[in-house]
Amino acid sequence: MSFHEKSLWLLFSSVGAVFALYFWLALTTLPRTGEQATLAHAGLFMGLVVLLTVIQIFGNILLALAGKLTGSMNGRVDTDERDQLIELKGARNGSLVLAAGVFCSLSAALVTPGNFVFMHLLLGFWVAAQLVETGTQLYFYRRGF
Amino acid sequence: MGKSDGRITNRIRVLRFERGEMTQQELADRAGVTRQTINAIEGGKYSPSLEVAFRIARILDTPIDAVFQYGEPEKP
Repeated sequence: MSFHEKSLWLLFSSVGAVFALYFWLALTTLPRTGEQATLAHAGLFMGLVVLLTVIQIFGNILLALAGKLTGSMNGRVDTDERDQLIELKGARNGSLVLAAGVFCSLSAALVTPGNFVFMHLLLGFWVAAQLVETGTQLYFYRRGF
Repeated sequence: MGKSDGRITNRIRVLRFERGEMTQQELADRAGVTRQTINAIEGGKYSPSLEVAFRIARILDTPIDAVFQYGEPEKP
């Protein structure tokens, strides 16, 4: 498995885990003021985005160090034209989910009061788009392309 | 370039072994692609760009049409 693919697994699992935690806390634990998202939601979101960034930075550093130690990365090409094609396919699938999310969120904004539903629907679709984008790439790496 | 529909075949595996059992990694390093891409090309799962195909042919010291073959689609 290449460094690029390992990095994708890290991104897929960390985005999934961090935002699953956000939605679980935001929908069950945090206090809500009517139909509005509160500062607590914004604070939790910002904190988890920082956590996600830290996981990505240190995770990729560890993966790169492991690659150096095992000699699998020594001066070798890590990405090429096939990786770019797989990346494009992932981005296309992700953009479809994101476009659907924007449409659904705008529709929800018309029929629900406040910003809570709109914000979380849009965020949910953004997370889904990220997972579909990286998941598509992982699928093509595993299945072969 | 892109996903192969199975009509493009190649003799890379045979030619590698005829060139002193060259490994996939060695061929990949010299062609400027990843080992996984060479593996996908050999397995018929990926058709490389013309540039990569020419580079592979040059490394294997073989004309490109002796490395890659395009089979005509079967008529129904």
